[in-house]
Amino acid sequence: MAMGTGRQHFQEELRGLELQALGGIDLVVATLDRTLEALEQQDIELASIVVHDDDRIDGRYLEVQQGILSLLALQAPVASDLRVVAALLHVIKHVERMGDQCVNIAKMLPVVGYEPPKDEAMLEYIFRMGRLARSEVAQAKQAFLLRDVAVAEDLVRQDHEINRLNRCVFSRAVEIGTDADRREWAMSMMLVSRAIERIGDNAVDIGEQVAFVVTGEFREFSDASRVP
Amino acid sequence: MSALLAPVPARRRRTDKIMRGVLLAGTLAALVPLALVVYYLLKQGLGALSWDFFTTDPTGRFLGPPGGVKSAIIGTILIVVLASAIAIPIGVGVALYLVEYGKQSLFANTVRYFIDVMTGVPSIVFGLFIYIVLVLTGFGGNFAGWKGSVALALLMLPVVTRSAEVVLQLVPNSLREAALALGAPRWKVVFKIVLPTALPGLITGSMLAIARGAGETAPLLFTAFAVNATTWNLGSQMNSLPIQIFNDVRQAQANIVERAWGAALTLVAMILLLTLIARFIQRRSRFA
Amino acid sequence: MSAEPREDAVRAPQPVRSPQPGAIAGSRAERSAREVISEGRSVEVRDLKAFYGDALAVKGISLRYAANQVTAMIGPSGCGKSTVVRCINRMHEEIPGARAEGTVMLDDADVYGSDVDVVSVRRQIGMVFQKPNPFPTMSIFDNVAAGLRLSGRKGDVKERVEQSLRGAGLWDEVKDRLAQPGIGLSGGQQQRLCIARTIAVEPEVIIMDEPASALDPISTLKIEELVAELKLRYTIIIVTHNMQQAARVADNTAFMLDGELVEFDDTNTIFTNPSDSRTEDYVTGKFG
Repeated sequence: MAMGTGRQHFQEELRGLELQALGGIDLVVATLDRTLEALEQQDIELASIVVHDDDRIDGRYLEVQQGILSLLALQAPVASDLRVVAALLHVIKHVERMGDQCVNIAKMLPVVGYEPPKDEAMLEYIFRMGRLARSEVAQAKQAFLLRDVAVAEDLVRQDHEINRLNRCVFSRAVEIGTDADRREWAMSMMLVSRAIERIGDNAVDIGEQVAFVVTGEFREFSDASRVP
Repeated sequence: MSALLAPVPARRRRTDKIMRGVLLAGTLAALVPLALVVYYLLKQGLGALSWDFFTTDPTGRFLGPPGGVKSAIIGTILIVVLASAIAIPIGVGVALYLVEYGKQSLFANTVRYFIDVMTGVPSIVFGLFIYIVLVLTGFGGNFAGWKGSVALALLMLPVVTRSAEVVLQLVPNSLREAALALGAPRWKVVFKIVLPTALPGLITGSMLAIARGAGETAPLLFTAFAVNATTWNLGSQMNSLPIQIFNDVRQAQANIVERAWGAALTLVAMILLLTLIARFIQRRSRFA
Repeated sequence: MSAEPREDAVRAPQPVRSPQPGAIAGSRAERSAREVISEGRSVEVRDLKAFYGDALAVKGISLRYAANQVTAMIGPSGCGKSTVVRCINRMHEEIPGARAEGTVMLDDADVYGSDVDVVSVRRQIGMVFQKPNPFPTMSIFDNVAAGLRLSGRKGDVKERVEQSLRGAGLWDEVKDRLAQPGIGLSGGQQQRLCIARTIAVEPEVIIMDEPASALDPISTLKIEELVAELKLRYTIIIVTHNMQQAARVADNTAFMLDGELVEFDDTNTIFTNPSDSRTEDYVTGKFG
């Protein structure tokens, strides 16, 4: 038998499963876009659409998980195929988490959306964080698709920036927290900022899975206990 | 009705029938001479059988009671037993060598070739050979029963070897491998595993060789010759059934000719018995 | 034979690669190492070449089979894995025209040494074959005892037979019919009978050449469980074309292709993260 021609059916199934899982990332990118737009435009309706649409991401999670279980039971993948399957399980979990974070952000809007925003600086931080997070998620998908470890490791750089901005938001919130008028708004914005930071972390985690698939070793890209 | 279940075309049915008819006819044609032989044997020979027939020696007289064939029966048995005792161990030994040790070597293939040649040698040639080598030289007396045995043994040897070789080759190689892998020396593999496994087939082959040897007349003509009296001494001249038949059948007296038929019937019966025993052993071994 | 071993040529399995704390600690081999009942011996193959006539089938391989561990040899048909193991117990040379060159060390003795008795080698390195081959003329008892009798060992045969049948997981099924023919058992039972026969002579190493490929799935699993127990007493080398089987039973796995050793590592690594792309292609089923 020539190389590369065995188990066609299995290879096609595996490829399909991967595209399904990575498609989940596309769903997250679209959701994130809508969430940031809702935030920017203070569009309460759009925010509620985001909340309801999370069902699609949850559905995708269940589909991929079921596909993985079938593949493991019926095809007994080994070596790199096995690592891909294991990685996809992690990836789709991170996708689901990112979807939940978007919902968390969207849920903040009815709380603070009816009044004009109280601090431009903080908003500026948050929107920059949002754009960075969006680019991180898209890049994570590319890294997995191309099996490119360098691209995956680059995610850390962007994530450090998000973390830095998150700390800026925190400091700003402390600053304006003394103002009773703006305190509530500031705290809500902090929660939004945290949610975006978590999205970034999940993207980095997907990058770590890329490295696992390629090298067979699992390692954390950046130690959370270290201050960058 | 679907196309899968079409009925048998008429032409094919006809061809089937014709083929069957032809083959059946051929089989019957082959069986007819055999049936005739058995019929004549029984018709001509049964009358000769009697108590006297088996218990008295031929008198050698042309007039008066001709006697029975006791000495011939005993002679045949003695000569054939001795011939078997010579031919079978040597024959099986040669087969063992060819299958277990010689295999496809040049020497082994040469031996095989000559064995094959020997099966084609006319039996009278063996008789002549022994006549020249043993009888004329006067080695151990003139004519003697044991010399007849040697001639028969030469005849039986290739038959035994041929059939033994086939049987030994049928022993699956996996058994030899299993025994070797257990740490058995090669000779033990041969004698404790191969030989016992092949035994039923070896016995069958030997019996058929014996049956062949028992019926040969020509080798005995020049070696054992013929006497009328029963003798148990293989060192002396000895009677045998084939010789007895050969002599009797040429006489003018009807009762002597009838005796020949009786002797022939006896000989055939003995060989039939031997063959049945061989078959029985073979069948039993298949169930083992 | 060479005096000094070529260290760079011998490949012992590399340590398990799982640097993360919390990953599965230790290999299958480490876990069971504590439970060894009796020390088997290690086998080390150095630059082994095997020929069928002029054709080179095994092109110079070196590897070490660790004591009291199961090492699997995998690879596509014709890659030479069966040939290699048959060189270890010197069965390869029984094939006409076949020979081997190189060194096979059983602990510190070279199996191909100039004054080494082949028969004694095979008593220390037993072999179980693909198709069960109990001796057809022998009862169950005699089959197990055959190993002892063929290798000339004295001692309490009855006790050894019972011990061996227990060791092969067959005692309870046959203890009431030890006198019945060995070939009357089912395929899986026959294979366990052959295993009992092999362990009756108390070898140090047991080679299994595709022991379950002729058996049904339930019998296969029983044999695999048996292997897990046997390794506590012996060193096991198992040739298999069933990768899942190698994954289930072996501590270490060697992958061969076209007479060469491509990769040799602990089983976990071979099946989760092999180093060579040919190994990767084979275990994931892209060819073979």
